[in-house]
Amino acid sequence: MQTMQLDEPLVLETLRQVVDPEIHCNIVDLGLIYGTRIEGRKVTVKMTLTTPGCPMHESIAGGVKNALRSLEAVEEAEVEVVWDPPWNPSMMTDYGRARIGLRS
Amino acid sequence: MSAAARTTAPHHKAPSLAGFSPHAPSVTLPLRFMVAGMLALFVGVSLLVLRPAMLATYHYNQYVIAATHLFVLGWICTIVMGAMYQLVPVALETKLYSEKLAAWQFAFHLVGFTGMVWMFWTWNMKQVGHFGSVLLVGVGLFVYNIARTLLRVPRWNVIATAVASALVWLSLAVSVGLTLAVGKCSYEAASGPASGGPLGVFLHGLKAIAAFTARFDQIGAMHAHAHLGVVGVFIMLIVGISYKLVPMFTLSDIQSSRRARASVTLLNAGLLGVFVAILLRHPLKFAFALLVVAGLACYGLEIVAILRARKRRSLDWGLKSFLTAISLLAPLSILALVLSWPGLPLTTLTGRLENVYGFLGLAGVVSFAIMGMFYKIIPFLVWYGSYSTQIGLRKVPSLADLYSPGLQAAGYWAYLAGLAATTIAILLGNAAAVTGACVLLALSLATLALNVAKILSHLVRPRIEPLAPRPTLADNLSAQPRPHPVPQGT
Repeated sequence: MQTMQLDEPLVLETLRQVVDPEIHCNIVDLGLIYGTRIEGRKVTVKMTLTTPGCPMHESIAGGVKNALRSLEAVEEAEVEVVWDPPWNPSMMTDYGRARIGLRS
Repeated sequence: MSAAARTTAPHHKAPSLAGFSPHAPSVTLPLRFMVAGMLALFVGVSLLVLRPAMLATYHYNQYVIAATHLFVLGWICTIVMGAMYQLVPVALETKLYSEKLAAWQFAFHLVGFTGMVWMFWTWNMKQVGHFGSVLLVGVGLFVYNIARTLLRVPRWNVIATAVASALVWLSLAVSVGLTLAVGKCSYEAASGPASGGPLGVFLHGLKAIAAFTARFDQIGAMHAHAHLGVVGVFIMLIVGISYKLVPMFTLSDIQSSRRARASVTLLNAGLLGVFVAILLRHPLKFAFALLVVAGLACYGLEIVAILRARKRRSLDWGLKSFLTAISLLAPLSILALVLSWPGLPLTTLTGRLENVYGFLGLAGVVSFAIMGMFYKIIPFLVWYGSYSTQIGLRKVPSLADLYSPGLQAAGYWAYLAGLAATTIAILLGNAAAVTGACVLLALSLATLALNVAKILSHLVRPRIEPLAPRPTLADNLSAQPRPHPVPQGT
C-alpha cells in the first residue's frame, strides 16, 4: 500500500476522478478547479462550473466532496463554487482540449 | 498542514447532497410530464397514420381540431411545462417556487387535455368548455408557479423576459380558446328554471360572451388563438431558452445581447399585432407578420453568431435536431408572409398551404426542437436520479452513454424525411401519401421510444463500476503537464 502526503497534487489527482457527465472530461483538465486549501484533515476546494446555472452543479460539487472524502486522510471536505473569474475554454489543459475536441 | 494519506480504494462514506444549492426540482416531477407527453405523441401519430385524411383536407373540422389539441396540449404543452419546471430554475439560477403546485398542475393538465381532446372528437363543445376549465385551472397554477419563480431571479435577462412573455401569451391563448368554446355552446338554461341566483348570473355572463364571440369570423378567431399558442408560447420559449442552452452545449457565449433582446421585443410586438389583425381580418396582418419575421431573423443571426464562436467543434444529434428545427423557421416565415398577404384568395392551394404551415410549425419547428432537447433532458433526469450521488465514488456513465447515438441518428434522418414527405403529401392533398409519410415519422418515434426505454432502464438497473485504480502521482505529472488554471490561494 502506497502512502502519500495530503498535498495539492494528490488532491488534484483525486479530483480527476470527478468527470463532467455532459462534457465527458474530468473537472481538473476542464480547468474548473481554481484553488485548493489544506488545513490538517480539512480540504477546501475553490472551483467554478462551465456556466452559471449549470444543471450539474449539485452533482459535480457533490462528486468533489465524495472524491475527497474517499481519502482516508480527509476528515472534512468543503466546496466553494465561484463565478469570478468566469470559466472559459482557455482554462482547460491540452489533455482536456483534446478530450472533447475543442477548437484552439 | 498536511497529513498522511493512502491511495487505497476509496472507503465510502455515505454520500450526501445536503448543503448544495439545489436549483432543479426533484427528478420525478419533470419526468412524469415527459412520459405523459410521449404517450400523447404516440397516440397522435398513430391517429395520423390511421386517419391520414385529416391532413389532406381543410383543417376546420372536429377531428383535425381534436388531433391538433392532442399534439399541442398533450405532447408539446406537457413536455414544455415539464421542461420549464426543470430548465427555468436552472437557466435563471433560482429555485422553483413550489413543487407541490406543479404536482397539482400535472393532475389538472392531464384531466383537462384528455377530456378536451375526447370532447372535440365527439364535438361536444359544452364538455370541451368544462374540461377546458379544468385545464385553465392547471395553467393558472403553472403561470403562478413560474411567475413566482421569476420573481426570485437574481439577474433579470433576455431569457427571463422571454419566459415572462410566454406566460402572458399562454394565459391569453388558453383564455381565448375557452372563450371560443363558450361561443360555440347554446344557453337554453339561461332562460329556464336556473336563470335566477348566482348560477343564472353566470349563465347570462356566458351567453353574453357567446354573443360577443359570434361577432368575429370563427376561422379567423381560431387562427388568432393558434398563433398565440404556437408563436407566443412555443416559439418564444424556444428563442429564450436557446439563448441559454445553445451556448451551454457548444461552449460559446451570446454574441450580441442587443440583438437577442431585439428578437424577443420584435416577436412580442409583432405577435400582438398579428393576433388583432387575424381576429379582425385586417390587412395590416402582413406588416405585423413582417415584425415577427424580423424578430426571428434577429434570433437566427444571433444563433449563427453563437455557433460561429463556439469552442466545441462537434455537435451531437440532439443539438443537430434542435438546430435543424429552428432552421425550419426560415421556410415557415416565408410561408407566413405569403399567407398573410392582404386579399389572398381562399383556394384549395391556400388551404393546403395553411395545412403545411400548421404542420411545419408544430411537427417541424416545435416538435423537432423538443425531440432534440429530449436527448438532453431525459438522460440528465435519469442520470441525476441514478448516478448523481455516486459521482466521485464510482465510475458512472456519461449522459451520452445512456442511449444509442446510432438509433438517435437514424431517428433524426427518418424524421427529417418524414417531414419532407408529409409536406409534399399535404401539398398534393393525397391521403395515401400522407399515410406513407407519417409511417416515416412513426419509425422515427419508434427509435426515440427505444432510446427512451434504454435511458429509463438506468433507473431500474444502474450501471455502476468501480473507479479505475488511481495512477501514481509520478505517472501523471510526467505524462501531462497540467497547469493549474487560476491559482488564487483560497
